Amino acid sequence: MSTQPCSSSTSSNSNNCTATVAAATPPPSSKTVSIRDATAPSGSGTSTTKSSGLLSVGSNHHHHHHHSSPSPSQSQSQSQPQPQSQSQSQSAQSQPPTAPSVPQQPPHHQRGSKNEDAPNILVYKKMEAIIEKMQAESGGVAVRTVKAFMSKVPSVFTGADLVAWILKNFDVEDVTEALHFAHLLSSHGYIFPIDDHALTVKNDGTFYRFQTPYFWPSNCWEPENTDYAVYLCKRTMQNKTRLELADYEAENLAKLQKMFSRKWEFIFMQAESQSKVAKKRDKLERKVLDSQERAFWDVHRPMAGCVNTTEIDIKKAYRRGGSSHGTGSAGASVAKNPVEQLTRIIALRKQKLERRTIKVSKAAEALVAYYDQYNEFDYFLTSPELPNPWQTDSTEMWDTEKNSKDVPVRRVKRWAFSLRELLNDPIGRDQFTKFLEKEYSGENLKFWESVQEMKALPQSEIKEAIQKIWQEFLAPDAPCPVNVDSKSVELAREAVNSPNGPNRWCFDVAASHVYHLMKSDSYSRYLRSEMYKDYVNCSRKKVKSIPNLFGVKR
Amino acid sequence: MPKIDPETQKLYDEINGMIQKFKDDQKSKADCTLADKCGDMSDVPKIRFSSKKILKGHINKVNSVHFAGDSRHCVTGSLDGKLIIWDTWTANKVQIIPLRSAWVMTVAFSPSGNFVACGGMDNQCTVYDVNNRDASGVAKMVRELIGYEGFLSSCRFLDDGHLITGSGDMKICHWDLEKGVKTMDFNGHAGDIAGLSLSPDMNTYITGSVDKTAKLWDVREQGHKQMFFGHEMDVSSVCYHPSGFGFASCSEDQTARMYDLRADQQIGLYEPPQKNTGFTSCALSTSGRYILCAGIEGNVHSWDAMKQRHTGTLSGHENRITCISLCPNGMCLASTSWDQQVRLWL
Repeated sequence: MSTQPCSSSTSSNSNNCTATVAAATPPPSSKTVSIRDATAPSGSGTSTTKSSGLLSVGSNHHHHHHHSSPSPSQSQSQSQPQPQSQSQSQSAQSQPPTAPSVPQQPPHHQRGSKNEDAPNILVYKKMEAIIEKMQAESGGVAVRTVKAFMSKVPSVFTGADLVAWILKNFDVEDVTEALHFAHLLSSHGYIFPIDDHALTVKNDGTFYRFQTPYFWPSNCWEPENTDYAVYLCKRTMQNKTRLELADYEAENLAKLQKMFSRKWEFIFMQAESQSKVAKKRDKLERKVLDSQERAFWDVHRPMAGCVNTTEIDIKKAYRRGGSSHGTGSAGASVAKNPVEQLTRIIALRKQKLERRTIKVSKAAEALVAYYDQYNEFDYFLTSPELPNPWQTDSTEMWDTEKNSKDVPVRRVKRWAFSLRELLNDPIGRDQFTKFLEKEYSGENLKFWESVQEMKALPQSEIKEAIQKIWQEFLAPDAPCPVNVDSKSVELAREAVNSPNGPNRWCFDVAASHVYHLMKSDSYSRYLRSEMYKDYVNCSRKKVKSIPNLFGVKR
Repeated sequence: MPKIDPETQKLYDEINGMIQKFKDDQKSKADCTLADKCGDMSDVPKIRFSSKKILKGHINKVNSVHFAGDSRHCVTGSLDGKLIIWDTWTANKVQIIPLRSAWVMTVAFSPSGNFVACGGMDNQCTVYDVNNRDASGVAKMVRELIGYEGFLSSCRFLDDGHLITGSGDMKICHWDLEKGVKTMDFNGHAGDIAGLSLSPDMNTYITGSVDKTAKLWDVREQGHKQMFFGHEMDVSSVCYHPSGFGFASCSEDQTARMYDLRADQQIGLYEPPQKNTGFTSCALSTSGRYILCAGIEGNVHSWDAMKQRHTGTLSGHENRITCISLCPNGMCLASTSWDQQVRLWL
């Protein structure tokens, strides 16, 4: 027997069937979301079956376990007046489904068969096989009743016993692995510490207890916030220090009370009747039941910071809750007007077929070339020229961003990769502007920059900006005419004077023409220029001098 | 199923014929994979990153992180109802922005660092001006962008005045922030949009969706330019290759993939050594050599993107990692998790 099945369980916990968002507040401005959408992933449809599981009475529970199983809302069918008042409040609020009058099947059998395909069921089955082995009369973990000062602690075993048992019975390498193994069983709620909300196992004398099969996660519990509210409310009624609410539970209770303010009376009554029933029980039995119920909620509403095995991604929960859209609506729109829809698809596909694609080998070559060029800038591969600010506490790297004097040589080298790289670097752009001014072709870059700036303006200012660019660079009497072919100018003129008003893309053709011109002409001349070479050499010298500087400092 | 009239049937057939043609074309162009082509490259070392800092402050699951253009500040959003802007260097909180709705799913920093945007189950996108305070001293809310029918799953700034969002109602929206108006809004996918990545030149972007596909869009147009298949489950995140030639994607199907735009198909496939985790978020290193993916099991996985070799895991988080963000200079990775922590890796 290896630990394989359990280690896989941690990874699959996201697929689990229960969402837990109790601790979080509902969205205040929930327009389309109700809290149930966000919390109960399978929507309201399942709430009936689920609650019937919750409401089923402990006496139906058949397992060999010697405790009768408590249920969060168990007392309902036992105390006579309860169902009535409940149905009254229901008709008013139509929220929790009615208590079933038919006796229920043992929940985990009935539901287990239904949920064979529940995501974690395989893991649960394996864990449960292990738990049963642990609980075996002979050769299992020794369960004792420990005498403490003035009281007894029933049905417990120590963490050390458990770890020793695992080491003896399973093929685990060492104590660490055995502990991890025990922790996984515990995080799913099969075994739990009797005095702690954190479901984990320590290799010491801490006492642990087995969870009753009724509360096993394989029963596909999706307990609702109302059940949780009843439980917490009940805890406040039991006047014992060991039952006192933890801080986070008290917080949750306050939140739930706010959330369910309208039906708090109903929740309170349920809690009260459950508490009454509990009081009639044998003292030791009650101790066990209380702890098992607490462990159940530790699994389904864990304390902050605890591993949660029952929650799923909130986005998913939301999606399943409000699945009115989703693929459904897309399908519906096809059905509405299939011909039009399909014709549109065909047109799109035709476009796609016409597009020329390149071979994967060519694509790969391009990526390799990119890597060759950029690997010295990749921090994963090459340590940076300037000290890593996070590791050395020096902010030099950020400071040089602003200051054009000490530009590292690698950064200057990068300007030679492409015009885009040059223009992306503010210092590079500065240098290039200076170069163009020397060459008396500064208007090209100015025009290109103005077009980029214009495109980012709010709509209201676009018209004015377009006129300005036209007057300055393209109009027949423009003060700084750019060198663009007549066709592009004509296109721009049409766009500027179009009856619908000019749009922000009207100079795109001209701008890309100018860009191409800069790229093929000025840019390559810049790279060959003394100006660039000087700049590279200058920064190289400085880089070389850095180690000396450090030497001096030391 | 209603009866299909012959005309419709004919159209269906035509579409199917075309799909076959693409497949054939794709096959004919798929003369190798990226890994085949790169087999002769030298191996790269295992990823050296380690968890250097833990940014502490959130008290509930942290859902999203994004770096500003300065590679120093980042913003995180948590279900505790707060956005926190961090100086990653000092690990100090620069600002805490309390939200009206705690259900934040996505955050974005504008490249200039002047604005942050966030949104989630409140079905809206809210933009804050980091440099201006309101009467109570918190960052000033400048825009509330409403009109969504599903939760906001992704948002990115083109610049200080323009924002693109993807949402659970399958829509992509473009916003003019200065006027506060939607400039475009269209159906993007056949399922929730899960991730959005802008190209390095800001002219195009990629979206990933629950419909298992990723699509390429032009920032000026409504129709998608290209569509990419391959993932078997929800695509949870996409990340443009720094070259702009392609992009990486990751999914719940326990794989990450690399696609090339010009070859119009998948060129790389990355799987964790033990097939034991789906992925929520991905990133590429500056040269595109390393691909990083955040796993729901709490580790960040890294691969040599070219040779398709697993190059290590970053472990530290104790629960699902929801989002990773590599800062623009490629030196620092931030990750957020359900364990309420924000970690910095360098």
